[in-house]
Amino acid sequence: MRKLLVLASIAWRNVLAHRVKSGIVGILLFLGAFLVVTGKSMVDSIESSMAKSITSSLSGDIQVFDKNAKDQLALFSFGTGGDDIGEIPDFPKLRDALMKVAEVKAVVPLGSVNTVVFGRTELDQALDKLRVANRRVAAEQGEPASSKGSFGIMDLEASPIGPPHPAGLIPFSADLKLSPPADVAAALVPADVTERDQLFTQIKAICAQLQEDQKAAFTISADKVKAQTDLDNLTKVQTPEFQAQFAADPDGTMDWLDRAIAPLASDGKMMYLRLLGTDMPAFTKDFSRFRIVDGENIPEGKRGFLISKYAYEHFVKNKVARELDDMKSKRDDDGLTFKTDQALSDEAGRTSRQYARILFMLAPKDANELKPLIQAELKVDPKSTAAEDQDLGKLLATFLTVDDSNFNERYDWFYANIAKRIRLYDVGVGDVLSLRAYTRTGYMRSVNVKVWGTFEFVGLESSQLAGVYNLADLVTFRQLYGKMSSSQIAELDTARKAADIKQVTRENAEDELFGSGATEPLVADSTATQKFDEFAGVDMTAATRAAAQLDDRVYTHEDMEDGVVLNASVILKDGASIPAAQKAIEAASASVGEPVTALDWQTASGIVGQLLLVIKGVLVIAILVIFLVALFIINNSMMMATLERTAEIGTMRAIGAQRREVLTLFLLETLVLAAVASTLGAGASVGMLTYLGEVGIKAPSAQMMFIFGGPKLFPTWSLLNVALGIGSVSLISLFSTFYPALMAARVQPVVAMNPKE
Amino acid sequence: MTPSEFLAFRSKMRTLSLGALTAMALGVAAMEPTTAFAAPSVADMTQMLQVVDDRQENNGDFKSLVYLEQKEAGKADLVYQVAVYRRDQDDKLVLLFLMPKEQAGQGYLRVDNNLFFYDPSVGKWERRTERERIGGTDSNRQDFDQSRLHEEYTPAFVAEEKLGNYTVNHLVLTALPNADVGYPVVHLWLDEATGNVLKRQDLAESGKLMRTSLYPKWEKAFSATKKADVYYAREIRIYDEIEKGNQTTIVIQSLDLSALDDSIFTKAWLESKSR
Repeated sequence: MRKLLVLASIAWRNVLAHRVKSGIVGILLFLGAFLVVTGKSMVDSIESSMAKSITSSLSGDIQVFDKNAKDQLALFSFGTGGDDIGEIPDFPKLRDALMKVAEVKAVVPLGSVNTVVFGRTELDQALDKLRVANRRVAAEQGEPASSKGSFGIMDLEASPIGPPHPAGLIPFSADLKLSPPADVAAALVPADVTERDQLFTQIKAICAQLQEDQKAAFTISADKVKAQTDLDNLTKVQTPEFQAQFAADPDGTMDWLDRAIAPLASDGKMMYLRLLGTDMPAFTKDFSRFRIVDGENIPEGKRGFLISKYAYEHFVKNKVARELDDMKSKRDDDGLTFKTDQALSDEAGRTSRQYARILFMLAPKDANELKPLIQAELKVDPKSTAAEDQDLGKLLATFLTVDDSNFNERYDWFYANIAKRIRLYDVGVGDVLSLRAYTRTGYMRSVNVKVWGTFEFVGLESSQLAGVYNLADLVTFRQLYGKMSSSQIAELDTARKAADIKQVTRENAEDELFGSGATEPLVADSTATQKFDEFAGVDMTAATRAAAQLDDRVYTHEDMEDGVVLNASVILKDGASIPAAQKAIEAASASVGEPVTALDWQTASGIVGQLLLVIKGVLVIAILVIFLVALFIINNSMMMATLERTAEIGTMRAIGAQRREVLTLFLLETLVLAAVASTLGAGASVGMLTYLGEVGIKAPSAQMMFIFGGPKLFPTWSLLNVALGIGSVSLISLFSTFYPALMAARVQPVVAMNPKE
Repeated sequence: MTPSEFLAFRSKMRTLSLGALTAMALGVAAMEPTTAFAAPSVADMTQMLQVVDDRQENNGDFKSLVYLEQKEAGKADLVYQVAVYRRDQDDKLVLLFLMPKEQAGQGYLRVDNNLFFYDPSVGKWERRTERERIGGTDSNRQDFDQSRLHEEYTPAFVAEEKLGNYTVNHLVLTALPNADVGYPVVHLWLDEATGNVLKRQDLAESGKLMRTSLYPKWEKAFSATKKADVYYAREIRIYDEIEKGNQTTIVIQSLDLSALDDSIFTKAWLESKSR
């Protein structure tokens, strides 16, 4: 022991004596220990945060799905979500079996389907409202709904509408004069008449804007005849004769607007919403991060839809409001300015050109209220006769022209004065949404479902991945998933057999149909001509009846659960082992004839879960590289030291030092250096992690927010990781010194007596 | 040009072509190059297309019962029965799904270049584009509607070719500006003997082949209102050239050329059928 202490003190002296070599090697060992402790702690912290994100928001600890599925389940894939993960045909049976597994706390059924909502343009929406208002007016006035119109019966083109209105664009304040003046109308006519007239005025205002657009597009139009016809039609809408025509035949006039004018408006927005059907009470209870933001949760026994708050704010919200929100976030959160950031400046330019998205949505009453307010905000003289001071569209465009000096004020003013006068979201809480999906069998299915509210997962509010799913009840999911009943399959088989179509593949189609396979003449007398009743024996109302039944029914918990689901989240009891539970779950499901594959949350997360493996892989590679470099440098410098110190070693050997003592001395030199450098490296890492654990690391992107389990990651360190850092660095340094130390131990005493050449 | 006039015209043109080829073979240098290959002029080809269109047009109404089947690799077949109502004079078309039961009542209405879709499950109308895949199949509105090739496209001659046992004229058609068509470029193979379309290929703007349609069975029925035969493709085979293995078959099972009620070509009528 005493000898070891002596050797240690010599070793420490040697470390100090060879400062340059010790400095280089020491820095490497410092970095190695710093990297191991920091990297491992960060990966552990990310894994822990990500586990909380995923397991408490959607996946549970384990995901189960059909054992015979074609594709593997991936909850958070960036693709279309069209993977075939098979089916769990009898969920209650599977749930009962899994609940008997000791580790399992809860099982939540799931099933996802991609849906699309066909948006309607502002003109389409106004026409829809006008139709409803007109029907109410007709009912109130005891008139039958107009039997004219309905496409093709009324020929508005031929009606003597007269020359275009000289004014062209009619301002919102123009009085429609279909009914008495507004103040008198309130007392004399039902509210629906006023609403109808106001909607008509709104439609005229939209058409006036389209007219301006059409005029601008006319010069570049390839088909001047059509462009002129469109322009003429838009001009007609502004004439007093058209108003008279609407008063005389509202239905016919609306049909004409639908056919001739509505196609000129830009296409309605299509929204793609990924629907996740689930047992809402169980989901709410078992996923602690779930919370309702707007509206309410789907009541038990009811069908319904909850839109993710992320989708609601980023896809459903009015485009101008979205752009303003986005610019605010970039200014406030990212520190960008319009002056210095060209992309932000371009975004502001685009936003000001989107003023029609507000203008078209304003009811005449709101437009008339807004005009003086916006004039005051822009400090415009209300008595000015300039078009840009009087035209609401131009005023809005000016208002939306923002820069660093006015943005915050305009943003607040928008939400205080404009947002409440427009439909801020295309779909509102309480609206009925028509969801459409192509089912697994290829048929298209549509279903109406009430939007009860919006939701988010706590801590993941800004994460696009966390907001990828929208929630619905299982009955709605099953409607859109469209599994065929045996009677439906039989119906198709019967039709297919009756048609008796010869199957011809693409490869030999020309030969089969026109060459050697063609047996019939190319043209023959008709064999199909006959009087026929296409409705004989056809049930035309099945879809309508089924839809009505869906809406009217109150569902029991068993109704909701009973039927096909695609996968299920399994939540384990605290401290339960995931691998052990996976095995037990697979065995239990197989024993009841519902075999499933059980994936841990990380694998089930798909590409997001795999990201953690990538991070781990990068860390391991980085550590390996630095260790390899360290190994090479330590080895090289020790070899050099051995050569330089040959005389010294020879002298030591001459005065009685054994080979083992020389070997030990060299190993101790490295070990002492490694112990000091790695302890310092680990210490620096612990200091940094402690600091970051206090202030947090901001997620650089929405994707990373999901991985960080929130807007910030708060890393932690552990003694185990510190020990791992110091231990691994010491081991690698010992390993790299072993060969040079062995060489040193082989130096003969006689070498010390040879003079240096 | 009537069908018989068209056939005479084609026969003459073919004789000219053969004569020119013979002359070239004999080394008659004086032969004008312009007459050496008698490719039809644009006017001639437009006339060919008009013949195709005129034959299929009925100046009265047209009602048919159609079987529609879509096969997709790795998926169950889609099968529909559809009632098709056409009023060619007004360019109106209604497609009403009758089978399967779950889809019955869905329908399309075309009026004034608008294509509307109605779904009774949600009770709503939507405006759809010309590229709409009818019922999710590879068929589109044009496959069921009146043929308007000469109004919608400008033709160019490609070659005289053989298609199985038939000699055909291969034309390439380019859509006129603002024509309401599903595909901007169409290759057409017209049977030289009868003038009927035997094969059609639809291409995207980029020139990519999207689908191939084959028309192996043409039938004709006498129309009292037209006082002439109306031609119709009894069977159409549509092959998806993007998703290989996908194919759609359209078969007309029944046909009625009697006058139809005006109310059929309205939204109200289509809505009423599923109430």
